[in-house]
Amino acid sequence: MIMTPRLRKFALAAHITSSVGWIGAVAGYIALDVAAATSEDAQSLRAAYLAMELIAWYVIVPLALASLLTGLVMSLGTKWGLFRHYWVLISLLLTIIATVVLLVETQTISYFADIAADPTTSSDDLRALGSTLVHSAGGTVVLLVILVLNVYKPRGMTRYGWCKQHEQRKVLEP
Amino acid sequence: MADPSPYPGTPRWAKVFGIIVLVLLVVAMMFIGGGEHGPGRHAPSGDAGGQVPSSSVMEDGAPPEGGRG
Repeated sequence: MIMTPRLRKFALAAHITSSVGWIGAVAGYIALDVAAATSEDAQSLRAAYLAMELIAWYVIVPLALASLLTGLVMSLGTKWGLFRHYWVLISLLLTIIATVVLLVETQTISYFADIAADPTTSSDDLRALGSTLVHSAGGTVVLLVILVLNVYKPRGMTRYGWCKQHEQRKVLEP
Repeated sequence: MADPSPYPGTPRWAKVFGIIVLVLLVVAMMFIGGGEHGPGRHAPSGDAGGQVPSSSVMEDGAPPEGGRG
């Protein structure tokens, strides 16, 4: 079902908001992640781990799910479709992978936060926890790749899209 | 009605992208497959605090992911 122009613009606004918001939230998360990876001060470490959990669960996860959902709406409700163009298909796959990895990584984030919230945790144990920097940095790269694909929309149809295009042309031809 | 033109095939950029992703996946699997991957790798030992948490990555003497030396 192709959306009306007004609905399409609303869906596009929602998709841009959630997707760019996701990137921004991860950037803020990385600042805390770097602090967790480099700080020696126990108080700073506790604060970083606790804040990382809050940002992850209450900002990043909802934005990721909203980005995935609005992306599906945008592709299914416009001429682009979900499986017709490679840039759409690859964006979808990367978004799914990024969302799944994020949801799995929240276990580690929550674990760190639980350790940090425990007042009996020693400073040495806090310093030894480490960070999620590899995942947050890697996730940022994936999101930026998706951003580039969505802006530049490189040409290339899938075989399915090619066949669909010709079916539609046959219908339109007199 | 003219015959439809043949499918031109997967674009080069998509093929290159796919190869890069495959290589990165293989590299990632080599890291992940090396041991426990998850919050369990940061689990502290059974003793009281003050000890560095055990990690399967440390079995080979390498520092834990993201850990400080």
